[in-house]
Order: sequence, then C-alpha cells, then structure tokens
Amino acid sequence: MPQTDAAAVALARGGDSEAFHSLVDRHSRAVYRLAYRMTGSPHDAEDVVQETFLRAYKQLGRFESRANFGTWLHRIAVNCSIDLIRSRPHRETAHDGTDLEQFGAAVERNDRAGASPERLMMSTEVHERIAAAMTGLSAMERAAFMLRHFEGRSINEISQSLGLKTNAAKHSIFRAVRKMRIALEPFVAEPAARGSLIADH
Amino acid sequence: MTDLKHFDEDHLVLHFYGELDAGAAAQTETHLASCGDCRASYARLQRVMAAVDTLPDSVLPEGFERVTWARLQPSLQRSSGWRSWFVRVPGSLALASAILILVAGAFFAGRLSGTPERADIVTADQMRERVLLADLGEHLDRSQMMLVDLVSAEDGGVLDMSAERRRAGDLVTANRLYRQTADESGEVRVRELLDELERLLVDLAASPDTLSSEDMANVRARIDANGLLFKVRVLSTAVRERQKQMRPRAGQSS
Ligand SMILES: [Zn+2]
Repeated sequence: MPQTDAAAVALARGGDSEAFHSLVDRHSRAVYRLAYRMTGSPHDAEDVVQETFLRAYKQLGRFESRANFGTWLHRIAVNCSIDLIRSRPHRETAHDGTDLEQFGAAVERNDRAGASPERLMMSTEVHERIAAAMTGLSAMERAAFMLRHFEGRSINEISQSLGLKTNAAKHSIFRAVRKMRIALEPFVAEPAARGSLIADH
Repeated sequence: MTDLKHFDEDHLVLHFYGELDAGAAAQTETHLASCGDCRASYARLQRVMAAVDTLPDSVLPEGFERVTWARLQPSLQRSSGWRSWFVRVPGSLALASAILILVAGAFFAGRLSGTPERADIVTADQMRERVLLADLGEHLDRSQMMLVDLVSAEDGGVLDMSAERRRAGDLVTANRLYRQTADESGEVRVRELLDELERLLVDLAASPDTLSSEDMANVRARIDANGLLFKVRVLSTAVRERQKQMRPRAGQSS
C-alpha cells in the first residue's frame, strides 16, 4: 500500500485501483462525517461518500499533485452534498415562528424526560443535546448553517451555492442559530446565572 | 450606554461571523464596549457557538471503509467502461442526454413518436445509443422484477432480506449512473423517477437481514404510494420500443 496520499494518487492515476482503494480507506470516514453534518441523514451521507469518490476518481487527472488530497476531496464532498441537497424538493419553513415554537416545545419535553442542566454539564450529554438540536433544523437551515459555521463560507457564497437569495440564506442561518440558542443557552449560561460562582468582571 | 439602539440577535450573529462591513463592525464593537445588555447578549451567543463547535462526529461502525469500497468498486469499473467512453467522446454527453429526452418524451407523452432511422446506415452514434438503451432497459427490467418480488412477497411472517439486499445494492450503482445522466441533461422527470427508485433501493440495500411483516408493509406502501412500479414499467416499455425502432431490419427501410 502506498505510504502517502501523493504516492497513492500517482499510482491511481496510472489505473492502479488498489492505490485508489487505499485513498478510500484513508478518507472515507472524514467524507462521511462532513456529508452527515451537511445532510443530516445517514443514507444521504453514504450517497455523498460514493459520489465524492466517483467524482474524485474521474477528476484525478485534474488534481494538482502539490495540493493536499484531503483538502481537495473535502471540497468535492461539500459540492456533492450541496448538489444532493439542491436536488431534493424542499419546503421553505414558515417564517411566522411556529416552527420555532414547536422546536422550543420539543426541547422542553426532552428536558422533562430527564435531561437537566446538571446532568448536561457532562460533555457527552451536551453533545447529545447539540446533535438533537441539529435534527430540528430544516435541510436548508442545516446546510447554510454548516457552510457558515464549520466551512467558513460567506453568506454570499452560501446563497450562490445553495441557489438561495442572499436574504433567504441569511434567514436560514439566523433561524438555525436561534434554534441552537433555544436548545443550548440554558446549559451554557455564565456561572453567575447558575448561582455557583461570582459573575465575571 | 451610547445613544445607538441596542442590537438585535441577528445583527450580533452577522458580527460574530464577520459578515458586517468594516464600518458597521467598528460601530458594533464600540457599542458592545459601552452597553452591558448587548455585551451580555453577545457573550451568550459566543457561548452557544462555542458549544456548537463541540458537535460530536457521527460514530461509524467498524468495517465502514470495507462496505464503502465494496459499493464503490463496481461504479469505478463502470466509470472506466462505457460511461467514461461517453465522457471522453466529444458531444457524447449531449448524445446521452438526447436519448433520455427522447425516451422521456415517449414516456410522458404516452405514445411513441419519431421516425425510425434508416436501418441500413448505422452510425457510431447510433451504436452508442443502442448500448446505452440496452443497459438502461436491462436495469429497468431488473428493478421492475425486484419491485414485483417485494410487492408480491407472501404476507405474514418475516422476509429474509439477505439476497434482496445484495440485489438492491447492485441496482443502486447502475441507477446512480442513469440518474446522473438524466440530471446532467436536465431531464427532471426521468431524474425524479430514478431518484425515487434509488432512495428505495438504498434503503433496501441497508435493511437488516430480516424484515418484519410490518416493515414489509411499509416497503409495499412506499412502492404503491407514488405508482413507482407503474412508472418504472412505462419507462421500461418506452426504452424497449425505442430499441425496436433502432434495430436494423434487413432489406427494409422506412
Ligand atoms: Zn446595547
């Protein structure tokens, strides 16, 4: 098995399928994680993984050998995720706040079901909470928020790649952030608000 | 506190992400420095965002890479087979698109129009079209058979899915290629049908070893709900008809 990505790419370009196999072994988990964040669905994430490697395989000739293969693949995976999200019919969520109310109610129900600020102080429970909050995002809210928050894309870029008007992209992000606040704010309050420590400054 | 209005949450989100222009950003900083309310609100936002940063990665089963490769490999072989042949030949994608549009036209117009080509002259393009039509026709037939088997599987009891799962996995790969071709050609309705089919196939390929009768009922409901079987059958018939039109007939020209 080739030692480095660069060596594997060189061999794969020459038609060595085992070399490409080694690239899949090294990078498929990272691609899946990205795709899952973007799409929120395990099945879609698996499809994105397949499509990403298929595109990478076809475009290997265009890969600049001095570039980082992981970075290059990451960009392809983001594009594949965007293509998949755009190919699905999506319903713009209502802008009257009803879904925010529903979201808040669901969070409360979840709290009554056993989650408490004290228990949520444990990081695994905070993580569960974040993951659960993510599932309350619409497909576009999730995609726009992920691109802004984790991929560092500007709102302008996001609106272009998702085929949204700038304002719609902005509002998707605002709504996503609002949902994150509803779900997480009680558990990340400053120490003073928890009555445990002296307030900052 | 300055005489500026307080900032709303959305404004602070834009500030957090560096989306404000330099002037607005500076103004925001100045206000935050002098307004305790906004500062507290911004600090809460920062804490929430910091928590979001810790979003855990999804846990994947061991063997994920193996399964990924098993599913990918046939597509790569295909990719260096007929598909890349189409990709390398200039104008070939347009050709593939034309075929799908043509098939789709017949499919949705509910009739088969178009004059068959002169049967005695077979161009390279026609050869390629035949290859693609044959592949697509076969794929649709196999998909149709699988749907029929699922719909007509005996009621009650559990269904052994191990064979069906493999079958679905094979079909997914081929289906993806046709869907992409339809997608690239902007043939929305064919793409939607193949997309619908693919989602079902992907789910079936990922199903557990056995399906309860309740799961089976769900699968059947899904096939029934959108007339999937019917649509696949109609498209398949359209492809077969087109193939017949393309077939060279000795001593006969229309
Ligand atoms: Zn203020």
